Amino acid sequence: MQAIEWGDFWIILAVCAVTILACRTLPLMLLKGRELPEKVSQVLGYIPPATFAALVANDLLTPGMFSAGIWPAAAPLVAALIVVVVAKFTKSLLWCAIAGVAAYALLTLVLV
Amino acid sequence: MSGKDTVRASLKAALPIMLGYVAIGIPCGILSDSIGLSWLQCLLMSMLFYSGAGQFMIPNMWLAGSPIASIIASVSLVNTRQMLYSTSLAPRCNNVKRGLAFFFAATVTDESFGVNTMRFESGPWTVQNATLVNVFSQSSWAISTVVGALIGSAIGIPLAIASFAMTSIFICLLVTQKISKENIAAAIAAMVGVYICKLAGLSGAAILIGAIIGIAAAMACSKIGKRA
Repeated sequence: MQAIEWGDFWIILAVCAVTILACRTLPLMLLKGRELPEKVSQVLGYIPPATFAALVANDLLTPGMFSAGIWPAAAPLVAALIVVVVAKFTKSLLWCAIAGVAAYALLTLVLV
Repeated sequence: MSGKDTVRASLKAALPIMLGYVAIGIPCGILSDSIGLSWLQCLLMSMLFYSGAGQFMIPNMWLAGSPIASIIASVSLVNTRQMLYSTSLAPRCNNVKRGLAFFFAATVTDESFGVNTMRFESGPWTVQNATLVNVFSQSSWAISTVVGALIGSAIGIPLAIASFAMTSIFICLLVTQKISKENIAAAIAAMVGVYICKLAGLSGAAILIGAIIGIAAAMACSKIGKRA
């Protein structure tokens, strides 16, 4: 592998920084302060549950994940269920993160 | 809220994100170091680009020998999901000055969007609070990636385990959403959508497409509910 040079670094950083900045700021700056139709406000309300579910699925689900046997692939799913229980009881992001990492570490390092 | 209280409340809200970013920021810096990025380059990336997924993808794709154009295209595609957060947060910024709104929008991540959305809903939470959460989170990320680049591969953090901190945060954000049939439809359809995207080889855009499918399902669900 060739180490990355400053020239290549600047190209990658500049383009990626501009595209992400546009995605982050344009919708908000264009919509801010406008009277939105009820339909649009309703759609905005569905963005959080839909994106959180998509992020969870993106982390937990991979096609062919069970092809190497049930257990290694089931470990993150079991850890996820534990986090669901902790979330229901504590509603705390911090406790969920701690419980999730501990459960996942135990399930993958100790039990396999 | 006084200034001091605002800072304290924001720091408290940002704490889970900050700890999570230490856990994945250090491995990200280590990985960056392995393709020859210096601590200064890590700092520039974390300040100007600030994307966990992106900053892992760049070294991984470079190691795999991908051409620069395809690295840029893939990383930019993955980050298009930011448009959903930006759209969702727009009404919160209605009475906020343009400069602050821009700075707030420019520093949103998956995690800080989630935490701030949760706080805005349970209120009282201001854009000032939310921006501070973003700044604290980004500081933690920037420092952690720099530390990772400086220590190189001196310590091994199992990344799959560290990154489960983020997964856990997303799970908590999901299950603390209001339980309505529209939200349930949104969540299930989004998960199925992500899986189908991955099956179809569209993993780069899976989060964005999956979320849009989820939003569409929720709208369909609310329409059916009205008719019945």
